[in-house]
Amino acid sequence: MGGTPTEAPVRKSREKPLAKTDRPWQVVVLDDPVNLMEYVSRVLARIFGFSREKADELMMAVHQRGRAVVWSGAREHGEMYVNQLHGAQLHAKLERAE
Amino acid sequence: MTIGPTVAGGLKLVPEEDQDWVVLLEIAKDGDGDLSKRLAGLMDEESLWEEMIVPELEEEFSRQRLEVVTAVIKAKGEGQALHIDKEMAEAWYGALNQARLELEARYRFGECGNFAPDEIENDAARAAFYRSDFYGTVQSLLLRYVMVE
Repeated sequence: MGGTPTEAPVRKSREKPLAKTDRPWQVVVLDDPVNLMEYVSRVLARIFGFSREKADELMMAVHQRGRAVVWSGAREHGEMYVNQLHGAQLHAKLERAE
Repeated sequence: MTIGPTVAGGLKLVPEEDQDWVVLLEIAKDGDGDLSKRLAGLMDEESLWEEMIVPELEEEFSRQRLEVVTAVIKAKGEGQALHIDKEMAEAWYGALNQARLELEARYRFGECGNFAPDEIENDAARAAFYRSDFYGTVQSLLLRYVMVE
């Protein structure tokens, strides 16, 4: 046995740079011309536990800007919220946080 | 048709003409579309929405429409007014919402802005506009008088 000496292996850092896949997911509610504003507020308050003031604020953001991020976090959890929003017939989707 | 709140916290719909019953029966027909698939189209393929969630949503949406059409047929058969109590309110709201969403998907009223419905040349579209407007009015009354928080 023998051979040429080799360099000592470099220990990899356990800390990885934040990769694209590490970015959180966000639940986005989209505007539509059908769902009533009062109803959208109520649904947001019920599903996410927002105060009525917060729910109204997000509802107005959806109405005026066409979309609003209402939650961010793990994908699985976000899918559960989108499922509930679709059940309430709101237009919602899941996307990577910027 | 006359519609108003009841002292029991519900809503009473009193059809007065045959046409009123026709409109009430249209709710389930108008709402019978592909809403759950359109919502699934907002999700990426990774989510398996079509396979996992769409069947569940279709079942729920179908249940709402069935509850409404069953209540309308029963009331019509008995010649009675329709009563929407708190227990039924969610199904009614959901069925009316489905009907409006499907009509919107078909006719795109929302893109027309403020316009006079009389200007809609297509008879079917004009009738759909009036039904959608009526459905929205009933939804507002449900939120205000029945689905009280």
